[in-house]
Amino acid sequence: MTGSACIADKAPLARLYPTDTKTETTGMLRYLLGRFWQSLVLLLLVSVIGFAVLNLAPGGPLSQFTLTPGMTQADLDRIATQMGLNRPLPIQYLDWLSHLLRGDWGHSYRDGRPVLDIIWEHLVATLLLMGVSTAIAIFVGTWIGVLGALRRYSIFDYAATVGAMVALSIPTFWFGLIAIYIFSLRLRWLPAGNMYTIGNGSLGDYAIHLIMPSIVLALVNVAVWSRYMRTATLDVISQDFVRTARAKGLSSRRVLIRHILGNALLPMITLLGLQLPTILGGALVTETVFTWPGMGRLFLDSLGYSDYPVVMGLLMMSAVLVLVGNLAADLTVAFVDPRIRLS
Amino acid sequence: MSDKSSSSSIIFRPTRRQALGMAIAGAAGLTMPNLTGAGRALAATPPSEPKGQVIVGFSQEPTVFNPHLPHIEVDEGIHFSVFDPLFGVDPKGNFFPALAKEVPTVENGGISADGLEWHVKLRDDVKWHDGQPFTAEDVKFTLELLVDPKFRSWRRAGHELVQDLTVVSPTEIKWKMKEPYAPYPSILAATFIVPKHVLGAAEDKNTAPFNNAPIGTGPFKWVERMAGDHIELAANTDYFADGPYLKSLIYKYIPDLTVLYTQFKTGDIDVIGLQWITADHYEEAKALGGTSVAVIPAATVESLSFNMERPQFKELAVRQALYHALDKKTIIDALYYGLPAPTETYMPQQSFYYNPDLPKQEYDVDKAKKLLDDAGWVPGADGIRVKDGVRLSFKNSTTAGNHIREQAQQFIQQSYRDIGVEVMISNLPPAVMWGDYWMKSEFDSVVVGINFLTGSDPDTSDYLSSKSIPAKGGAGQNTWQYASPEVDKLLGSGGVEFVPEKRKQAYLKIQETVRNDLPFLPMFQYATVRGHKSGVEGVEPNINVRIDSWDVATWHWA
Amino acid sequence: MTQSDFLIPTHARHRWWQSRSVRRFARHRLAMFGLVMIVVLVLACVLGPLLLPFDDLYIDLRGRFSPPFTGYHFFGTDPLGRDIAARLFMAGRISLLVGFAAMVISTVFGTVLGIAAGFFGGRIGTVLMRFVDAMLSFPNIFLLLAMAAFIKPSPIMITLIIAATSWMEIARIVEAEVRSLRERDFVVAARMLGLSNSHIMFRELLPNAIGPIIVAATLTVARAILLEAYVSFLGYGIQPPLPSWGNMLNGAQQYLDSAPWLAIVPGAAITLAVTSFNFIGDGLRDALDARSDML
Repeated sequence: MTGSACIADKAPLARLYPTDTKTETTGMLRYLLGRFWQSLVLLLLVSVIGFAVLNLAPGGPLSQFTLTPGMTQADLDRIATQMGLNRPLPIQYLDWLSHLLRGDWGHSYRDGRPVLDIIWEHLVATLLLMGVSTAIAIFVGTWIGVLGALRRYSIFDYAATVGAMVALSIPTFWFGLIAIYIFSLRLRWLPAGNMYTIGNGSLGDYAIHLIMPSIVLALVNVAVWSRYMRTATLDVISQDFVRTARAKGLSSRRVLIRHILGNALLPMITLLGLQLPTILGGALVTETVFTWPGMGRLFLDSLGYSDYPVVMGLLMMSAVLVLVGNLAADLTVAFVDPRIRLS
Repeated sequence: MSDKSSSSSIIFRPTRRQALGMAIAGAAGLTMPNLTGAGRALAATPPSEPKGQVIVGFSQEPTVFNPHLPHIEVDEGIHFSVFDPLFGVDPKGNFFPALAKEVPTVENGGISADGLEWHVKLRDDVKWHDGQPFTAEDVKFTLELLVDPKFRSWRRAGHELVQDLTVVSPTEIKWKMKEPYAPYPSILAATFIVPKHVLGAAEDKNTAPFNNAPIGTGPFKWVERMAGDHIELAANTDYFADGPYLKSLIYKYIPDLTVLYTQFKTGDIDVIGLQWITADHYEEAKALGGTSVAVIPAATVESLSFNMERPQFKELAVRQALYHALDKKTIIDALYYGLPAPTETYMPQQSFYYNPDLPKQEYDVDKAKKLLDDAGWVPGADGIRVKDGVRLSFKNSTTAGNHIREQAQQFIQQSYRDIGVEVMISNLPPAVMWGDYWMKSEFDSVVVGINFLTGSDPDTSDYLSSKSIPAKGGAGQNTWQYASPEVDKLLGSGGVEFVPEKRKQAYLKIQETVRNDLPFLPMFQYATVRGHKSGVEGVEPNINVRIDSWDVATWHWA
Repeated sequence: MTQSDFLIPTHARHRWWQSRSVRRFARHRLAMFGLVMIVVLVLACVLGPLLLPFDDLYIDLRGRFSPPFTGYHFFGTDPLGRDIAARLFMAGRISLLVGFAAMVISTVFGTVLGIAAGFFGGRIGTVLMRFVDAMLSFPNIFLLLAMAAFIKPSPIMITLIIAATSWMEIARIVEAEVRSLRERDFVVAARMLGLSNSHIMFRELLPNAIGPIIVAATLTVARAILLEAYVSFLGYGIQPPLPSWGNMLNGAQQYLDSAPWLAIVPGAAITLAVTSFNFIGDGLRDALDARSDML
């Protein structure tokens, strides 16, 4: 997904607020098992949709060789047959699926290496970018959100609200372009792309390359995060125990840290899970703009070369990530608020 | 790649100045600034042992390291560094020996007079990177691998004709051809020899570990690949020929041409490779200090290609009119910054077989209109010409994302509207564009850049023979569906003639016929803006190969 | 029709919140700002091309890369010497139209599916909602690109693809809403009166779920405009010479140093339009007090 449109509503968060931590263990187990089977069915559906979309379209992985001098239709036909591309689609799908079930994600059409290896290499770069940017988003978002809630209806609060809305509306890639224009091309402070300078793999070098892409990617998440944090904090402030704590004479700061943050951060874990597809999608665009060697770029490259095994692998991988994120979110909700029936 | 002790290197390997001289002579009108440093370059002698590191930037990522699997041009950058062919081809189009002791010719008895029997003598002092000796068995293995039905060989043309492969001794190999095939030397010059003792042992050669950690005989050894980022190679100190003079060689993948140029500008890369400097940066690049930037012609020819089976294009007058209405000069000057050279043929102007006497295109809108009027194409109510119920309206396609070409396309659309011809732009993603849409002639018209030649050989049967039309069941890539009995006959006679001077006549005539028939409107021959740091010596352009690093063995720092 | 007259309370409440919502919405300053901006943008895109002396497709290679505010070119010219202002407005027509059309398609589809799933519940509901989950499991842009990479990218196809990847949230919202309404008195009453399923779904349930749908639809317009921009920026969207805000940015990176206005102008237009729709959506949410579960 993209940096889209929605500052989430306050209502679900009100429900997220922890009051009780009792859970029914057996109900939970049954629920988990049910979710597991549902997820498997879901993944199967995802794979069918993905496979169909990719393979029913015209063109194919051999198109890139067409303009090689001397390439002939006969060569293309022969290679297609050798690669099994001429088999009926359902057979190709079942073949792919049966290999996947045996833990074999297939080999890239481009360099013949195992898909999982390729994804793994790129995953590290993406996780680095996502991790740093999420950390920034959490830190800055929390700060803005809490401050906005404590000074509700102040100019700061109002500006933060409007700022968050605008941030959610800026196309990530455009923000990236503008950042490159200002900080790389005009001011020449930061590198315009890549993960590190070749021959200089030092930590500082990585850090300098990380600054722009991680901030650009963090923008949307700061917005989402700060909105949630504001609502959650408002919710906590109004609770009796905070008022009690204050009445007992605890300093505002200790109240803030101990009670407000402690309680409000819990539902944020849910948010993190649900935000995963957004962050992944945002990473794709950010990686393109900043030539970051991660999964997003791998996806675009593989798409360009019609490297179906890699594209399928990435689709499945992201689907798994999203499912795990959703499940984690649901579980958190269940743990913190047993009033929500899991069904 | 030539013999260190052999004086033949002067003949086979032109010096940098000679090479550039040829390039200049060939591309008349192209400017070659900043190359005055060439004289100094000649004075600098290579170091006695490998020293330093060169970083080459590519805008595509090399991923296929087995040179016989289907690959794209950027992969050949690695192939040239790690492997050797039996003999290579120099910028002038001459062969020079590499793993072979001498280039087999009819004169030296390497090839029989009828072109059927080949006898190649090999060097005895070559070692694979793992220390094993290179022998005739490796050559036999390679040539057999290329036609192995289980192996996804990227190309079989020529190799399919080889039979009776016989290893005479570790340094001698013989074979027979089923029929004479003049392009075979050029194909062999692009055929890298792979090790039997490594790849031969693999059960599935399509997925062998070798394919991702190649072992060759070339000037550089494989070190490692950081996928999505770079490939590192190290000097092969046992290299049998001249070089290498660099301790380490790095191919860096930078997917964005602007970033690629920026990294060249800032000195992060030493040599700017494939896709090079974009034309719009040429003026700026020329003025950079400490670098050497030059415009180098490439063999690729840009054309507006027709599907001749479409009713709109069946008539020669229409194609002629469209050619007259094509403002080549403006396209070249404004969109390509004046760098490429206009051309009238598919043959690169540097080729020995180039026909310089073809009629020059005249940009003349009135003539175009008159041709169409005379042929009976009259404007309808909407201003678009019609004849016998056929509207002179067609789709034009190219790869979506090639910005300058898209701009040219839109400019052509506007110029053709002025003569009552409607062009509808219908661009496609590359994977779709170059699939059946192109190969099976499903297009109306296409703007495309094609390198018609394999190496320096002039044979273009795959593109121009009427037997090569895939849409009609043919095996080649004649997607224009161009059928000319005369061209067919000439291609036949040119393909079995081994003496260049005699061959030339056939190919001059073919170019003339194609120019008259206009299955495609030749626009220009590509020119690329190459650049490297002034300190890097030995970087020579070679129009007969597809990649910069063909002579990487002799690159060195001043 | 007479039968549904029994259900006056619902309809009365309907009308009652409507007027109050309008007043609440009008007091929402950001939403009003958004509304005004959208009206201005739409007017500019509709009238702009008629007022400007330039054709958005006219190529003038002698006038390439004119910076903004030079000569008659208010926003400068592009690499083919076309007037950027003219292109911007024509592009706006396409981008806004794609956004609206995608919103309508995805809203209708998502609503119908959501109502059906929520109303019938049980096995049908589960199957439908699992399908929704499956579609949501792809990061939106991945799915969008996978589809766009292999079709002929015309505005209609792009609209359909965007719609195909944006109906799921609405389906979820409507399903949840309908599920909560299903056992309410007025629905039970309607069932007892023997009204047909489709009548209950579209005459009784739909009006009661309309608030969240309107909010979600507004936000979907914003998102559709953004998605078009993303896909076109990456080169898989609407193809030149037809301008769209997204494809005007495609290729701008190449000229970022020499002609930054190529990137700045269309990007600002996208941001303005999307922000405005988001403001409106926010205002509507407050006004309609809709509980949206969109994330």
